[in-house]
Amino acid sequence: MSVSDAASLQSLYGARLAALLAALERGDDAAFLATLDEVLNMRRPELFGELRDVTVNLKVALDRFRLDARLADFAEKEMPDARQRLAHVIKMTDEAAHRTLDLVEQSGPPAERTSRAAASLTTAWKRFRMRQIETREFHELLKRMDAFLPAAHADADAIRRNLSELLLAQGYQDLTGQILRGVIALVHELESVLIELTRLSGADLAPSRAPGARATHGEGPVVPGVTQGEVAAGQQDVDALLSGLGI
Amino acid sequence: MSKDIKFLVVDDFSTMRRIIKNLLHDLGYHNVVEADDGSSALPLLQQGDIGCLITDWNMPGMCGLDLLKTVRGDAKLAKLPVLMLTAEAKREQILEAAQAGVNGYVIKPFTAETLKEKLEKILAGAPS
Repeated sequence: MSVSDAASLQSLYGARLAALLAALERGDDAAFLATLDEVLNMRRPELFGELRDVTVNLKVALDRFRLDARLADFAEKEMPDARQRLAHVIKMTDEAAHRTLDLVEQSGPPAERTSRAAASLTTAWKRFRMRQIETREFHELLKRMDAFLPAAHADADAIRRNLSELLLAQGYQDLTGQILRGVIALVHELESVLIELTRLSGADLAPSRAPGARATHGEGPVVPGVTQGEVAAGQQDVDALLSGLGI
Repeated sequence: MSKDIKFLVVDDFSTMRRIIKNLLHDLGYHNVVEADDGSSALPLLQQGDIGCLITDWNMPGMCGLDLLKTVRGDAKLAKLPVLMLTAEAKREQILEAAQAGVNGYVIKPFTAETLKEKLEKILAGAPS
């Protein structure tokens, strides 16, 4: 305690404590109790102030504890999960890109074959239409037409099937989009926790936002190694499960 | 079932709606309308001319399961054939959809053949 603190205490309490002692010595109970009340009342605001400080500090400590626990969750579980989810997105986009390229490559040869066969038939067909064709050549043309029509039909069907598959291969965008939205929500929540921690540390920041609401409307696509619980491995599992219920 | 039946396709991803719409066209169904979540689907359903609902589950706003429950709870829509087409593949979720009254459940990624098969099945049992 400094000299000035002692002097200020002396001036505040010295006279009252002397009066308290004097009242005790002369056995004046009323004066003693009145002076004691006076001394206690002088301390009351300070006591309340200290109590308020302790409460605020306790609240900050509890908030920090809550946020530290949330951060530990992020570090231990959710960040590794997010990494796995992002890796899965890369895998799905990679597979979709390859599937698309495969289908484009597979569609080239039948298109090319049909085009070449049609072009080669066109010359003979024109001569036939202009009645410049001989009987032997006409029979030859009929044979080539017999071969061309079913082949063109089969090639066009194959291309049509590939186009359908190509269309379906674009479905990855929906699935990866759902996974990415989940990771965005996680990053948003992490951001809120970090802002709040900084605020509790006393740095001058804008008021924190509420943590982002996590998706409650379903969980999104199955991510191997992340999704918990019993999961249907494919449409056959779904069909088996539902047929048991008469659906 | 007539090919004039009107489909409502509900999915928050426009690419997926486009894929489903194209597959429906391939199957001969050309009357298709779209919505991007349950809330925007409901007014379309309440117009009363939708013959089949194909919905995703996981969507912002009203999810597919809530849409299904709302449909089943509405006297005018209660018998509407509903196909859930979703990435949600947990056993408990499939059972939850079944309890809510779904007519068919297809998990993504899916094939054109699966969609065709499930549609034929639920439309064959639908009131005409």
